[in-house]
Amino acid sequence: MRRDRGWILILSLLVVVLVLPFLRDAIGSQAFPGFYMVLAFQVLFWASQATSWNLLSGFGGYFSFGQGAFYGVGVYAMAVLTGRQDMTWWMATIIGGLLAMVLALIVGMVAFRLRSLRGEIFALLTLALPFILLAVARLSDAIDGGQGVIVPVPPVPSFLPTFQDFVFMAGGLIAVLALAVSYWMSRTRYGWALFAIHDDEDVAEAIGVPTFSHKMYAIALTGLLAGLSGAISAMQVGFVTPEGTFNLRVPVMVIVISVLGGRRHWAGPMVGALYVTLLQNRLQAGNLEGWSLIILGLVLAALVLLAPDGLMARFTRRPWTIALVSVLTPVLLVTTGLVPDLIWAIAIGLAVAAVIAFLPSRKEAGDPARSAKHHAAVDELDGEPVPVGDGVVMETVDVRKHFGGLKAVDGVSIQVKEGEILGLVGPNGSGKTTLVNLISGFFPPTSGTIEVGGVGTVGLSPHKIAHLGVARTYQIPRPFASLTVRDNVAVAIMFGREPKSLAAAREEAEQHLGFVGLSDRADALPGGVNLHERQLLEMARAMATKPKLLLLDEALAGLNPVEIDNAVQVVRRIHRSGVSIVLVEHLLRVVNQLATRIVVLDQGRVLASGPPAQVMTDPAVVNAYLGRSADAAG
Amino acid sequence: MEQIQAAVSGALQGSLFALMALGLSLTWGFLRVINLAHFGIILLGAYLTIELAGPTGLGPLGSLLVTVPVLFVAGAVVHLVFDRFEVSELNSLLISYGLLIVIIQVVQNVWSADFQRLPGDINPYATQSVRIGDLIFPLPTVMAALFALVLVVAMKYFLDKTYAGRALQAFGQDREIASAFGIDHRMLGLLLAGASGATAAIAGMLFTLRGTVTPDSALEWVGLVFAIVILGGIGNVAGTLWAGLLVGAVSGLVAIVWTPATSPLVVFTLVVLALIFRPQGLFRRKAAH
Repeated sequence: MRRDRGWILILSLLVVVLVLPFLRDAIGSQAFPGFYMVLAFQVLFWASQATSWNLLSGFGGYFSFGQGAFYGVGVYAMAVLTGRQDMTWWMATIIGGLLAMVLALIVGMVAFRLRSLRGEIFALLTLALPFILLAVARLSDAIDGGQGVIVPVPPVPSFLPTFQDFVFMAGGLIAVLALAVSYWMSRTRYGWALFAIHDDEDVAEAIGVPTFSHKMYAIALTGLLAGLSGAISAMQVGFVTPEGTFNLRVPVMVIVISVLGGRRHWAGPMVGALYVTLLQNRLQAGNLEGWSLIILGLVLAALVLLAPDGLMARFTRRPWTIALVSVLTPVLLVTTGLVPDLIWAIAIGLAVAAVIAFLPSRKEAGDPARSAKHHAAVDELDGEPVPVGDGVVMETVDVRKHFGGLKAVDGVSIQVKEGEILGLVGPNGSGKTTLVNLISGFFPPTSGTIEVGGVGTVGLSPHKIAHLGVARTYQIPRPFASLTVRDNVAVAIMFGREPKSLAAAREEAEQHLGFVGLSDRADALPGGVNLHERQLLEMARAMATKPKLLLLDEALAGLNPVEIDNAVQVVRRIHRSGVSIVLVEHLLRVVNQLATRIVVLDQGRVLASGPPAQVMTDPAVVNAYLGRSADAAG
Repeated sequence: MEQIQAAVSGALQGSLFALMALGLSLTWGFLRVINLAHFGIILLGAYLTIELAGPTGLGPLGSLLVTVPVLFVAGAVVHLVFDRFEVSELNSLLISYGLLIVIIQVVQNVWSADFQRLPGDINPYATQSVRIGDLIFPLPTVMAALFALVLVVAMKYFLDKTYAGRALQAFGQDREIASAFGIDHRMLGLLLAGASGATAAIAGMLFTLRGTVTPDSALEWVGLVFAIVILGGIGNVAGTLWAGLLVGAVSGLVAIVWTPATSPLVVFTLVVLALIFRPQGLFRRKAAH
């Protein structure tokens, strides 16, 4: 049912776009002045631009100040190709979109390959992009040369009454396309990969999301849609200059629009575009144009501080009330004659809807699902312990990892056999977590080889290693903060060895949550569950990737004794389901209880290896480990 | 000869941009905020100088008596907001972007979008020049270089030799540990953000000595100044100056060897290369991860 609502809205918009020009012609310019069409075009233009920006920057969290560059490529493609090369408008539009997409892919190739890339650096790199294109456009006489280019009025198709109707329809179709892409992404793996990247890119890789390619898909679509929409808008503008195109107007607008409308929802930018365009229009009508940017700037700053989720996140809590209010208010105002001007009436209706959206909601009052009782306890164990087999699940040979002069891991060779729980212990700084990071592929070893199921993994991206059957948890749990507990697990299933749809993944997620005893927390956000539950969530998410080898990096740190017992039960369960485990743990009681074999690391080297009872009495181990940190021996 | 003249002139101009970059780099490196509003504060520095220098009889240099304290407060107030709401680096970028737009529009509403400049009788520096051998440099760029040098040396001394400076460095490296050692980061943060506002006042004044300013000047500085911040190494005071001189010299050379319009291309290519090969900045030994 929910699934269809988005398509219904997009189809209704398509109908409006196709019908409005003829409706306007039928009503006549008395009741439906031409500037209504211009305003409607602007709303749809900004909706296209903001929706395009939102794919990479809203869904994926990579803020871009470079939207003006993609837009500008479209603008100049239309201007140069129709103005100087006599190409048809629709060919120029398509080429404009493709050129912008190529530019976006180049930016992505450079930026997303940088190991040092952080979101802030990406934002600043894209800030420079319009300035570079400005320089190119000014320099090249083939593009502009600094004089500006006149965009000829294209021949209007005979079935349309006026040029304005034609531009409206063309721009409207691009907006429908942009919204359809955005909605489709938000329902499929393409969007969910971005949601995961937005929350925690390293973890996304570790559960099997090919982050690089999904960022490239997103930036390509951002470029394509921005270019298409820019090309159409050039026809509306009529005369383009480098300074008027490659500036910060487009980036300012798309950022404010998307932050206001909501970056997580596919329709957020559309809603934001409606608000911002109408606000600007009304300020112009009141001769307050000089205030427009001041208000937008303050709105941006205030929203980021106080309501970063935007309007759409609040509208969806009571969609029917909001829809009714925003439609009925203007209708009542106009029919009763209180506010005869239609645009003022619509603006007032939207303002009322926004105020209602920010009224406190009953849902926020309390969380009834929360109870003092521990829900996470799992049942008694079922089945027999898995015997240790002969097959080698994972093997490292002489693996080293040096950070500058520090030898964090210095020649470690270990094997994990089928059915084994290998306890990995050692003092702080002995290289345990570095080894986990090497096995999961978070960084490559300085030298040595690592094999998983007989396949060498050095040089593979973490998501490929995840698909080979390696899963991990983090010492400090790193759930995707904006996804529910269920969806955290569902994402891992969607990006498993066999790709799954969202619906199928959500269904399957229930099993994994039940497996660790988190079923009744499925709808909570990770911020609303306790540490123990977050650690269980880590395990459920790791199990959802269907691993052969699970790396548990101090998964029991910071728990109370009751919780530890429960977690130990869960680890046993995982083991009995046929998964080999590397258990990095400080609590020797737990290691002794669970491990079938223990490897002791000290200063990056293997100090001892063997059955728990034997290793724990080894004098070298007692000296290196217990002697120094006896207090950790819980 | 022509090339040397162009490179040195460019380097001197680059020092003005290094001065603009200084405050930005400091607050980014030590306070973990990326303050785009800094460009708005520089803009205010420029317009206030034009407003004050003539009518008050203070002259451009004398007007610093007013602009430095006023913009010190402005810088501190912006940081007060960041601190109060504990904003992340990325959010500070967005919020200050909003503030920058507001400042530019306010300046435009007050002083119009047209070019503004100091009248010739108030700004005797504009027409004077300094001659060294065969090389001739306009006095305003030499003054900018001197101011940049003095401020960088002073800031370096403050950070390395004073208790407050070292405390700030500790805070930049690890907030929680530094707080645990009793460093009053709030006070120090406000002080540094204020100092960054004060450098903006000086940079704004120096910019008016060279010629005209418009509200959009603020946006024109953004690309070049961030290039300098990144090349110099975030929070690296001396690196910022070196990067400014380097970027200026390269721009100057490119401008006469090819055309002035190609210099952004070259500079930003440099930045991308630097990000690939030396993400920690050009002037810092490779740090261990």
